[in-house]
This record gives sequence, structure tokens and C-alpha cells, in this order.
Amino acid sequence: MLCLRTFTAAIAVFFLFQAPAVFADAESPTAQLKPTLQRLVDILSDRSLEGKDNKKKRRDLIMSTISERFDFREMSKRVLGSTWRDISEEERDAFTVQMTKLLENNYIGQLENYSGETVEYVGERVREGRAQVSTLIESQGNKYPVHYIMNMDDDKWMVYDINIEGVSLIRNYRAEFKSILRRENYEGLLQVLEEKNSSFEQS
Amino acid sequence: MKKIILLFMLIVFAATSAFAADDTGGASQNDTPNLLEENYLDDDYEDTREELYTIEEIYDPLEPVNRVLFQFNDKLYFWVLKPVKIGYSYVLPAEVRESFGNFFNNLSAPIRLINNLLQGRFQDAGVVFSRFLINSTVGVYGLADVALQEYNLEPRIADFGQTLGFYGIGEGLYLVWPLLGPSNIRHSAGLVGDLLASPVTYLDMTSNQSVLYYSVNRINNLSLSPGVYEEIKKFSLDPYVAARQSFFDFRRNVVKRATNEETDF
Repeated sequence: MLCLRTFTAAIAVFFLFQAPAVFADAESPTAQLKPTLQRLVDILSDRSLEGKDNKKKRRDLIMSTISERFDFREMSKRVLGSTWRDISEEERDAFTVQMTKLLENNYIGQLENYSGETVEYVGERVREGRAQVSTLIESQGNKYPVHYIMNMDDDKWMVYDINIEGVSLIRNYRAEFKSILRRENYEGLLQVLEEKNSSFEQS
Repeated sequence: MKKIILLFMLIVFAATSAFAADDTGGASQNDTPNLLEENYLDDDYEDTREELYTIEEIYDPLEPVNRVLFQFNDKLYFWVLKPVKIGYSYVLPAEVRESFGNFFNNLSAPIRLINNLLQGRFQDAGVVFSRFLINSTVGVYGLADVALQEYNLEPRIADFGQTLGFYGIGEGLYLVWPLLGPSNIRHSAGLVGDLLASPVTYLDMTSNQSVLYYSVNRINNLSLSPGVYEEIKKFSLDPYVAARQSFFDFRRNVVKRATNEETDF
């Protein structure tokens, strides 16, 4: 058993360090996204990372995996819309930190429900430095279409939105932020965001 | 008075069976919508390199009332539906619940048949018809989805709300129905159409039987689908806005799927 665990750990480490080399430039968005999602599946199905004691370790592993492929700053910018223009560079950084926390909790929260779902790659579109990779997630006999919207950033395709059955993660937050900004100023919004994030730490 | 309440419950629960038709096997078609073509430019954002999503305003003049009803549904979910769902799932194993789900889904086949035909999707209508025949016979009253397992015939969803959208009818203002949740004028009209197309409506059942039927349908469906509402609530800063936006985007996608397919013919 110990042997197996060491083996899986070795594989995990191997993939962790191998990863950057795999992403050769000029690769298709699907080819770049695939190893990231595969590694996520590996982490999620890794028995040695299960249980409460390993929760933090598992989260850190997931986070380091997705931050290679997910552009949280781009997401923060799109979520804030025109308000992004009105705030200073420091405020943008601070906002990105908070927004990353929220998106991380949201995405990892979804991933933690993982129970052997399979990912099927069904299509790819590339247009003017943007790409859409379409997948089908099969879960308990049902198939759900999940699309990853990506931006080209220094030869690397980076995800900035996830669209599930027409529902866009970023557009959804954008609508919420817009509604809140109608009642409150930017500081008020930031406070709501921080409160939301601290609610995850308590639970 | 009792009769009226029962009738109301009947309508509301009946409508949820249409939701069930929506949710199960929603991704049967392997077409990929072009999300890159969506309007990414923001009017109040001048730099065109920094394309951003446009948030189209959702027409919601009843927002104050809708928010109250949203709260009502929230309490209903956490105080009634969720505990019942947990008990129900505890008593019945997943396989049994899946069979029930297939049964309810099979009974709503006429809704999908009529709407596929109305949208000119004749091939899909044929698949719906074949699925219904196979599952009602070999699948024992629709309890097993033999058509999918043995013949690889995937569900072809279609509903009246989608058909109305297909013919260019506008969504109308946003509504939150008690028990039912997010909707709009077009979607609500569609639910009435779905109810009229459902054979269950024409069964000679007492009102108590009807309420039981639709309640079990609802709870069963809830026990099989992922806890979407709880997720929305947990991760949003304003769950009302998040639910509204998700509903619109989801339904728009359903209609888009119908109109995109038309061009394939």
C-alpha cells in the first residue's frame, strides 16, 4: 500500500515538473488544456489525497495546477467591466487577489463533488487570438456541455471563462457586480466580496 | 377553496415536469455553439482590444416582488424540499430513483415530439418517437432507458417555451413563481403548453393523486440532479441576480440550439 502511495506521489511530482515542458508553443488550445484537466482528474482521483487532513494539500495542488492555465487577472478585469478602468493599479491587484479567492473557492467547490466523471473533447474554435474548447462531462449517465473560453497570452492559451450549458461564469459574476455597483460604490463592492470570501474560511 | 389550492398546486407541480424534461440529458446533441461570436464588446469600454462581455439588461420591472418570492422559494427549498429530498434519497437507492426518473421522463415524450415537429426537427421527432416506443415496451413502462443503452438513441429535448423562442417571440419580463422559481412571460406560456401536451394531464386522477404524482416527480428529479441552487447560493454575492442571469443564459442557449439546428437542414 505504501509502495503504491509513493508511486502515485512520484507520478504526481513527475507531472508537476514535467508540465511546463509539455506546453510547447504553437500547440492547439485543446492540446494545451488537456494535460491541465487530466492532472486535475488525477489529483481528484488520487486516494492518498482524500480525507480531511489532506484537504489543504489537495487544494494547494489543484490551485497550482489551474493557475497555470487560468488567467485570474483577466477574469477579474472582465468581471468588473468599465469599473476596472476607474481604479488604480494597486486596487486592481487587491481586487484580483479577492476575485481569485472567490473563483478558486467556486471552482474547487465544484471539483470537490467529483465522482469519476469523464471528459470528452468535442470541438475547438479559434478566432483572432481567442479560442473555445468544447467538452462534454459525463456524470451519472447525463452529459453536460462545458466550454472553456481562452485568450492567447505569450504563446500560452489561458482560460478566462467557463461556460456550462450557456451559463457563463464570468457573465454571471459581472451581472451581480453590476447590480451591486448600482447600490454601492467600489469600496462597498470590495467589502461584499471580502465578506463572501471569509465565509468560506469559516466553513 | 381546497379545490382551488389543489388545482394551483397541480398546475405548479405539472409545470415542474417540464423542467425535468429540460434537465435530463440536456446535452444530447454534440453540436458546439459558437460562444466566440457572442457580443463581447462593452459600450462603455472604449478600448476595443479589451473586449468584455456586454451585460444585456434583463427586463425585470417586478424585481421587488420577485425578490420576495425568491426568498419564499429559498425557505421552501431549505425547510421543506431539501429535508424531504434527503429522506427520500435515504430510503430509495439511486437505481430505483433513476428508474422513476426514466418513467416520468418517458411520460413527457409527447411534449418533446410535438415541439420537435413544430420546430421542423423531423429527424429528432423520429428519435423521440422511437425512444418512446422502445422504452415503453422493452423498457417496461419507461422504467429503463433501453433506447439509450442498447440502441444509443440519445434524448432530443424540446419544449413549448423553446418553440416560441424559435419563432421569434420575445421573452417578456422576468418572473419568479412560487415553488417553480425563475421564469419569464414566454417561458410561463411554454409551461402551460407543455402541461396541455402532457398525457398525465388527461388521466382521470383525483386531485390528491395528482398532487402526489407531481410531488414525487419533483422530489425524484431533485434527488437526481446536482444541487445547483445550493451552489448558486454559496458562491454568489447576490443569489437573486445570479439565478436570474443563469436562467436567462440557460434558456437562451436552449432556444439558440433550436435555431442553429434549423440552418443545418
